[in-house]
Amino acid sequence: MPAPTPAAPAPDAPRLRSRPSARTQTLWRALLRATLLPLVASVLLVAVTGGLLRAGVHWPVLPGPTLAGTAASWHAALMVSGFLGTVIGIERAVALKQRWAFAAPLASLGAALLMLAGRHDLAVWLALAAALVFIGVNVVLVRRQPAPHTRGLLFGALAWGIGNALLALGFGSALSTPWWFAFLVLTIVAERLEMTRLMRQQPLAQPLLQALVGWLLVGAALPALQPELGAALYGLALAGLGAWGCTYDIARRTVRAQGLSRYMALCLLGGYGWLAVAGLAWAATPLWPAARDTALHALGLGFVISMVMAHAPVILPAVARIKLLFGPWFYFPLGLLQAGLLLRCAGGLLQQPDLRATGAALNALTLAAFALTVIGSAIAWQWQGRPRADRHATPRTPPP
Amino acid sequence: MVSPLASTAPFPYEGPPELQQAVVDALSRVVDPEVALNIVDLGLVYGVCIEASTATVQLTMTSAACPMADLIVDDLTDELDRVLPAGCEVEVQMCWEPVWTPAMMSAGARRFMQGD
Repeated sequence: MPAPTPAAPAPDAPRLRSRPSARTQTLWRALLRATLLPLVASVLLVAVTGGLLRAGVHWPVLPGPTLAGTAASWHAALMVSGFLGTVIGIERAVALKQRWAFAAPLASLGAALLMLAGRHDLAVWLALAAALVFIGVNVVLVRRQPAPHTRGLLFGALAWGIGNALLALGFGSALSTPWWFAFLVLTIVAERLEMTRLMRQQPLAQPLLQALVGWLLVGAALPALQPELGAALYGLALAGLGAWGCTYDIARRTVRAQGLSRYMALCLLGGYGWLAVAGLAWAATPLWPAARDTALHALGLGFVISMVMAHAPVILPAVARIKLLFGPWFYFPLGLLQAGLLLRCAGGLLQQPDLRATGAALNALTLAAFALTVIGSAIAWQWQGRPRADRHATPRTPPP
Repeated sequence: MVSPLASTAPFPYEGPPELQQAVVDALSRVVDPEVALNIVDLGLVYGVCIEASTATVQLTMTSAACPMADLIVDDLTDELDRVLPAGCEVEVQMCWEPVWTPAMMSAGARRFMQGD
């Protein structure tokens, strides 16, 4: 392959100088970190507490019954839009390198705070505004790099927008939920698709993925007209995407590496397994309503949180400038996640409330354990005398 | 000044010939943590030009939606600072054309990723 001849940088392309802009960026990031991180963490804490209450675990961390009631009622909106939407919005804004892009995560965070303050009427519209800005961010990225994975990210943003629009227009969160999960699934699958380009191209991979994504979107839209058919289509599309990931994701190759790469691969492959479980449970809900809790949490925790745990060691250094020292202790929260989910799903399917509550409590402990793992790894990085990036990433340099 | 060794570099290089290998080695120590491969083997370095007191690196990312850019630029700047003469400023230009493709990876990187 001859060395490429670069064109002149595009007018909107970031031009990065070493030291002067590094100082500005450091200040900007410090400001964002000081304001955003505690607020995002608070939204997560309240959302998780709401989830525990729904599962029958009374954890008296929230002051007053009103906030607890809000947290339980709006658990899905707080988790998807308030927490994950904000985190994904920050990640994408960092990639775009344009400050207006931070309006999306700031608005979704503001919407979550308004929701907790009892102003649902304003919160739903601000959440919609967040999604619209986020769609704009993704349009710019598609124009910068028209490719299947950037278009997939845009579809994910559109799904978030539709889910938030349905909520703002008063259709209730039941119709929004498939769109919100489509936002998360499409975002993650598109990001993984980008990675699969590095592997040997499989002729079926792209058309299969496009068919599954189309199927998923039809399944997300149908519940308004045909709830049973919509659930079946949506669930089977999720299960298909899980199988697609297990078959084509680069994790199949990097699981043979060592250190961080292997850990990430195991998180990813486990996440795809939970995605398939979630899909089958989702498809079964019309005939077996008890499967709903499994569908929602195998997806929201098993798939999405597995992906968060996989990518946090590389995304946090990039987004928040918090470097982590990777070590085997990262496997502890990963194992806890599997144990909690198994209990939770068994409790839900067998209609054993105590078992489900125990699983939910373990799920919450998983998030706390992962947060402590990240904090401990950041401190360990500092104690190690800030080792080089390649130790953090455990690189593989291919043989010549 | 164009290095007489330019054809041996994995990317276009203009600058003092005695610095070329050190620059290649320094950039080869910068890793894209998401794929655990260095940026030279990944084909992300589109060119290096060292003149007067500035080293300009033309760099791309595997994806326009990649949030790793700043992290990679920081590591790249740190590594080049170690091998460039004192006072030589590093400037990184992010290029989105031509768009990066997997064909730009080195043979070794392709072997690792694709099992060739």
